Amino acid sequence: MVVTFQLNGEDCRFDGDPMTPLVDILRQERFLTGTKAVCREGFCGACTVHVDDEAVPSCLKPVGLVQGCAVTTIEGLSSGNQVLHPLQANFEAADAVQCGMCFPGMVMSLSAFVRDNPHASRPEIKAAMVGNICRCTGYERIVDAVADCLDQARKAGQLVGGIHV
Amino acid sequence: MSELAATVMNLPRRDAQDKLRGRTKYTNDRTRPDMLHAVLLRSTVPAGRIRKLDVSAALRCPGVRAVATGADAPGLYGIGIADHPLLAIDTIRYHGEPIAVIAAETEKQARAALAAIVLEVEPLAPVFTMAEALQPAARLVHEGWRGYEVITEGGARSGNIAWEAKSSRGDVDAAFARPDIRIVESSFTVGRQSHVPFEPRVAIGSWEDGRAHIQTSTQVPWTVRNVTGRVMQLPPGRVRVTVPPVGGGFGLKFDASIEPITALLARMTGRTVVLENTRQEEMATCLCRENAEIRIRSAVTAEGYIAGREAVVLMDCGAYGGEQVFLTTMTAHTLGGNYRVGATRLVSRAVYTNTPPNGAFRACNGVYNTFALERHTDEICEALGFDPMAFRKKNVLGDGDLGATGQVFEADVLGPMLDRMETLRASTGTSQAKADGRLYGIATTVGTWFVFVGPSAATVNLNADGSATLVTSGVEIGSGTMVQSLPQIVAGQLGLAPDQVIVREADTDAAGLDVGVGGGRTTVSIGAASVAACAEVREKLLRTAGEMLQTRPEDLVLREGRVEITGRPGSGMSIPAIVAHAQATTGPITGSGAFTARNAPAMSGCAMGHFIDALDIPVFVVHEAEVAVDADTGHVEVLAYRVVQDVGRALNPRAILGQIQGGVVQGLGYALHEEVTITADGRIAQDDFETYRLPLAQDVIAVAADLYEGAPSMGPLGTKGAGEVPILAVGAAIGCAVARAIGKPVRQLPLTPPRVLRLLHEREPPPDFPHIAPGWASNTLG
Repeated sequence: MVVTFQLNGEDCRFDGDPMTPLVDILRQERFLTGTKAVCREGFCGACTVHVDDEAVPSCLKPVGLVQGCAVTTIEGLSSGNQVLHPLQANFEAADAVQCGMCFPGMVMSLSAFVRDNPHASRPEIKAAMVGNICRCTGYERIVDAVADCLDQARKAGQLVGGIHV
Repeated sequence: MSELAATVMNLPRRDAQDKLRGRTKYTNDRTRPDMLHAVLLRSTVPAGRIRKLDVSAALRCPGVRAVATGADAPGLYGIGIADHPLLAIDTIRYHGEPIAVIAAETEKQARAALAAIVLEVEPLAPVFTMAEALQPAARLVHEGWRGYEVITEGGARSGNIAWEAKSSRGDVDAAFARPDIRIVESSFTVGRQSHVPFEPRVAIGSWEDGRAHIQTSTQVPWTVRNVTGRVMQLPPGRVRVTVPPVGGGFGLKFDASIEPITALLARMTGRTVVLENTRQEEMATCLCRENAEIRIRSAVTAEGYIAGREAVVLMDCGAYGGEQVFLTTMTAHTLGGNYRVGATRLVSRAVYTNTPPNGAFRACNGVYNTFALERHTDEICEALGFDPMAFRKKNVLGDGDLGATGQVFEADVLGPMLDRMETLRASTGTSQAKADGRLYGIATTVGTWFVFVGPSAATVNLNADGSATLVTSGVEIGSGTMVQSLPQIVAGQLGLAPDQVIVREADTDAAGLDVGVGGGRTTVSIGAASVAACAEVREKLLRTAGEMLQTRPEDLVLREGRVEITGRPGSGMSIPAIVAHAQATTGPITGSGAFTARNAPAMSGCAMGHFIDALDIPVFVVHEAEVAVDADTGHVEVLAYRVVQDVGRALNPRAILGQIQGGVVQGLGYALHEEVTITADGRIAQDDFETYRLPLAQDVIAVAADLYEGAPSMGPLGTKGAGEVPILAVGAAIGCAVARAIGKPVRQLPLTPPRVLRLLHEREPPPDFPHIAPGWASNTLG
């Protein structure tokens, strides 16, 4: 079966089993290895991508279900030499990264969250992270950086990440 | 600017942006379409004899390019003793053990071909627990144990006891016979902990110019090189190991496991071969922190003097000795640490069972021995009516005190750290109000750990653009040493900015021997080797500059990318100009440096079967936890967590605080809900993220930490490793705090809600070890 969708703004065509997990197509056929396949069961969030602006785990998304959708991966969030998404910039500035493998998924989940919840409290940020596991950092610095990001955006009167997320 | 001032800073990570953009290529991001995929045939029984293994039909399956079995890699490897085959040879010793491997054009083809392998196994009665393994008539997990090559001499071994280490100092019998003492005895048991690095064990092997090249996610490139040489019966120099950024290790990747298989298949096929554990395989065969059983007795006077102490520690090594053989050493320094003790004797045994082999995990052995020691200390205080804090202040190790192996500790460190904890608590306040009707407990505990020093090598090349290239066998596993402390150290030595220091990732063909990234050793050991390399560079640079400036080298200083005449800022010339001159006259400016353990002495006759007799660099921690326990559900909430950590010198305080937060949270998982159990057929029951309960964002709190500087250290600029030790005393602090909250003795981790409820209702049986004899000496091989 042929499935067509937008991948980071470009047409993408897949001819094969529509039950193939999206993550496998991203990693194995498109070499978009920023999307990490860690648990492959929807628990860890490391494979999170945006499908029509919604954050979803790509391991649980059969490619047949993205027919006609717009898929954005971490590589599409701030491509080339573009400036970092404010969340990425805040994580970098806060020295939040350690091994780094959870972060692409963390950024994809939280970028959708901060766009939709500009007034989120710290407990709400933590609740939003329930589907993103990090084994290195102990989370708090990530939560702080998200809260700072929202603060900065509120002060500047902007949505985090503008319209791009 | 002093060398120290030029080195200490909150340098951000240079690898953060690529990691955040998803551009970093970890090993498992490097699979290419032209590679072969390898999959393993693993045992589905915990113990058995291979009666038939025929792979000929699998070789004829579509896409299959090679099939390997134990016969293709006959060498054995191990730590201390070589007991471990790469693929099972004749005998199966655990559920999940690799038996054969298939390389095919696609993973799907390789998996399909697994069914064509003919395997007949005669099951054997498995030995699942240490209690079973230590029965006099127990079946031997390794029938041929006597015939194994002993790599490190000195340990006692017998049957299912893979290794035994003892320490003995003073007359313990006399201490226990004193009329003025009371004896307190405690028993503890702890389960395994799974590391769950986000990147599983994975390797890509190729065969190049008659040599193996393995790219892999490891903490120990030189171990992978040497083990590959052993199992393939090649000189280790015919193996090259390179290491891309590692997606988490935590000790799991401190030993070789599947990596040599890729080299074997690459030699057979002439192709590049990738082998990656699935998540299920990774967790089912995780080289976990070992389960352990501890019995400890102390003889204490009414004044609170610990006159005597003895303990037996049993460590389950699983099917093969692995790290546990080495880690028997650590009991003397962890359970034997923290306190001044009159006379002491400790025995630590690594015991074979038919379960997946265990391994190293951040502050290995120390985490549960500290839990046991601190809970035992609280039981002493309760039995004799001492205030736990006052007892600790009176008895913690200080300047001139003796450790279990007779090592003489230098300086008062733990005492002042306890004072600092009280200051920290005063500044944060306590959180009792948050208990809100639940049972509240607070506990302050101490811990002793070390820096695993050992050999490291470094080369520094000074380039004509003023940059320096640091070449070592270091690996970036996430702790930041390769992107923060090492460039900071080199920059500080050479008067450069850290971004002028290029740090080469590990390549065993490019850099000298290194015992790996673990044991809190990288900043200390590779850092010290780098300082030595920089000294040679400085000497050459200043000699060249002295000729150019007609000034004596001792009158010159390195500052901000220039060689200046002392006391005359802006004088002299730039480093690039001097390097260019040197390149044209005496040759490029390079330096090499080396470092190894000082081998601090133990007291003669005190340490038997130890890989480390005494600690070159002890590291101390003080941890304090406040908990609230829900008496209806057994749920434990951590209300507050405080750490005072001995760091020697904090080179990058912000990075260290990040390690403390992450390490404490891993410890909270161990203390509260990360549970590994073995099924009736010998499997690890928790082999996915649904069944193994990792800490989530809502489980954790921000740790308040104070970095204690100034304790003696042979590390560069007085530093100590800071990334490993934050997990050390978490089980201890939580265990003690929960025990105080519920008013019942806590003798087992993790403290899952069902276990806490059973403790509250006195339905949790205390640990009972019929396989540990009442007399200490009966638990030793003599």
